Amino acid sequence: MKKLANIEDFSREGVQLVQIDPAELLPLPPPYDKMEKPPIRQLTDEQRKRMDASLDGVVAIGLTPPATPEDEKAFIEKFLAGLEKLFTVENNWTFLQPLIHTLDYCVKCQICSDACPTFLASGEQEIYRPTMRPEILRRIISKYIKKENFILRKFKASDIDLNWQTLARLAELAYRCTLCRRCAQVCLLGCDNALISREIRKIFSQQMGIAPKEIHEKGSVQQLKVGSSTGMTPAALKNVIEFIEEEIEEKTGRKIKIPVDKKGADMLLIHNAGEFLAWPENLEAFAILLDAAGVDWTLSTEIAGYDSVNYGVWYDDFQFARVAILQSQAAKKLGVRKISLGECGHAHKAGIVIADRVLTGDLNIPRESILPLLEEIVFSGRIKLDPSRNNFPVTLHDPCNMVRLMGIVEPQRKILRKICPQFREMVPHGVENYCCGGGSGFAITQSTNFPDWRSAVSGRMKMKQILDAFQEVPGPEIQKYVCAPCSNCKGQFRDMFEYYGVWKKSGILYGGLVELIVNAMVDLKKPFIQWEWH
Amino acid sequence: MGTLIIALTYVAYVVIVAVYMVKVVGWLRRPPHIRWDLYPVIHEDHYRYGGSYYEQQEWWTKPRSKNRLRSILFSLKDNFYMGEYYKRNPLYWLFLLPWHLGFIFIIAFHILCFFAAVTMVGGLEISAASASSVGKLLYYILLTTGGFAFITGTFGSIGMIFIRLFDRSLRIYSMPMNYFNYIFFLIVYVSGLFAWLLLDPTLVEYRAYWLGLITLSPPVLHPMTVLHIILFDIFLIYLPFTRSTHYITRILAYFFIRWDDEPNQRGSKMEGQLNNLLGQKVSWEGPHIAAGKTWVEVATVPGFSETKKDSK
Repeated sequence: MKKLANIEDFSREGVQLVQIDPAELLPLPPPYDKMEKPPIRQLTDEQRKRMDASLDGVVAIGLTPPATPEDEKAFIEKFLAGLEKLFTVENNWTFLQPLIHTLDYCVKCQICSDACPTFLASGEQEIYRPTMRPEILRRIISKYIKKENFILRKFKASDIDLNWQTLARLAELAYRCTLCRRCAQVCLLGCDNALISREIRKIFSQQMGIAPKEIHEKGSVQQLKVGSSTGMTPAALKNVIEFIEEEIEEKTGRKIKIPVDKKGADMLLIHNAGEFLAWPENLEAFAILLDAAGVDWTLSTEIAGYDSVNYGVWYDDFQFARVAILQSQAAKKLGVRKISLGECGHAHKAGIVIADRVLTGDLNIPRESILPLLEEIVFSGRIKLDPSRNNFPVTLHDPCNMVRLMGIVEPQRKILRKICPQFREMVPHGVENYCCGGGSGFAITQSTNFPDWRSAVSGRMKMKQILDAFQEVPGPEIQKYVCAPCSNCKGQFRDMFEYYGVWKKSGILYGGLVELIVNAMVDLKKPFIQWEWH
Repeated sequence: MGTLIIALTYVAYVVIVAVYMVKVVGWLRRPPHIRWDLYPVIHEDHYRYGGSYYEQQEWWTKPRSKNRLRSILFSLKDNFYMGEYYKRNPLYWLFLLPWHLGFIFIIAFHILCFFAAVTMVGGLEISAASASSVGKLLYYILLTTGGFAFITGTFGSIGMIFIRLFDRSLRIYSMPMNYFNYIFFLIVYVSGLFAWLLLDPTLVEYRAYWLGLITLSPPVLHPMTVLHIILFDIFLIYLPFTRSTHYITRILAYFFIRWDDEPNQRGSKMEGQLNNLLGQKVSWEGPHIAAGKTWVEVATVPGFSETKKDSK
């Protein structure tokens, strides 16, 4: 494997810094130890001319090289202006404290490297080490912002050449971290190197207008424009809801009217709109369960009020705040008492925790996770459940945002322990879980060969964990279920399982939590879960 | 020489206390930030598995208990144990822990010397043969603390040089300043170790030095002890300009970032602070951010109408 020899190489022009070697990736158990295809597709010559891939041959952003030296100079100056703003209260009060703390106090002891699934799964590629991005940023700050003299820079080993190539690589490198914050969790000094990835993304977005298309243009911008990052308009939403009602009737014989824009409802439930299009069974299960439990709830058709996603949380404070404000305004308009977030990890963290210090006054409407309500329904006895209906091997994936970053650990486990006789934990799990590999926008980023990278590298540790959890029933003859109460994680599992051929080779399906609850409902004639790959 | 070391010592202590205070106050005075908590949060009831108050339905209607004592003990523990290092890189831990213990104990030793000197002014004899049991106890505590600091500090400093050089993952990120620090600190500890073992095994000279400090009467000391004291004073002056403030700021980061789970409530003091921050003008130049607007103004317009160019 071609590895980065020293940090100064980061600025070398005209070369690809590293090449991912399949032989050095984290080994997977059979039959996944021998892949027929190269793990990451090579870019074509035309793509390489158009998009910078000089970091690792992979493209998430794919910046186009500047046409002239003047363009390069302007690019660098704009970046440096943004970097200065990162350290001002008015521009970056949001993360100033943790940012400065990390840059000032990380001693580069590297224990966080051992906690990073991407670094480990890559065969310990130096560029993916959690301390690499902060180190590059720290050197740029030393030389170009603080303008420390040559002797001091030598003493602190903080020299770096800043050219377009350095910044293009840094921009890409910020999108090789899933922001799972496992590195921060083990740091005894309270530093957070994952946050540095986010702050680098912030400079590129808020100062330079640079972000992966799927996250910005097709993501948060689209959500603000039409109502959802999926592109689904309020009118289309109503059609989808009708379709879901028909599906429920077809599957269960029940006629359920899904409440939409119900004024004065107790609870506004906001789902990740990806569920409406990719996994409608999740919404069907919610509708069946909440109807049976007699919950007073509603969906909204307001802009952003029917899509809980908030991609800004990964790269841009303003895009984040805009979406959070619209979601709260939707709830305010309906006059609900509270907002509840469906099965989506980053929407949980964004909507419940992070939005907390942006929403003030009457926009600060109480917000909570749906999981404690599900727990209450399951344990209250309001609905008769038969665990034998879920008598197949089940494991639980912990979405980082919901678990490590929010502390919602037990409700989902209590439910699974009660209704799934063959439930087993992954190792490690709970707040020490590994990211699915699709965190921080990766699951939706479809640029060129990036999906290969996230299946082969960032998701590899999770892939191994899932296979290990089912190691005594490895073949496809026994159907197994990975419960992932998060739309982004499900998106990653869909792509990653497809990439490795998991359904055919191992018979592992993925799905949400509420589907398992409804599958165990005694008064449903047929099983709710349909064992079909989709 | 006696007068010089007394003056230097006072300067050294003023510098270390002042610079540390400036740094810590600077840290604390930064504005509130977006919540960025990370679990387990130790003051939570369910901290053992990392649970939070969000595990309850309608959490805002429930009392939130915060066990501050547990949090304080947890955060202090790692100054003396460093468990994550032991778990993840035991060889590094083997040197890192003694190196840090060297710092803690040498500072503790000097603080104890101060208190011992105060008792000596009061007429207490501090020695193994002291008629007072307090005098005897203080003698042995001083001997243990000082000896432990010199030994662990020496061992740790040598070990840190070794591990930084031979562990590739550490070497590639190491800077000349790291090696300078290890060598300088090694000289400080070795000078103390040498003075203690070969010249002053009962540390009587240290007690005389501290007595001289608080009575402002320059003591007569062996040149080796003087050398060690001068080196130690320089060490005190240099220390706050390194990353050593992390002994304190790591605890602040735990309490005010990692474990900061305080929800923003309507009409609260925090809401007032946030409204001030939201009212400040921003100067970001991205195409989706209008110029000359305040934070909240930017956040309450969709942004796409200002789009000037493609995002790539």
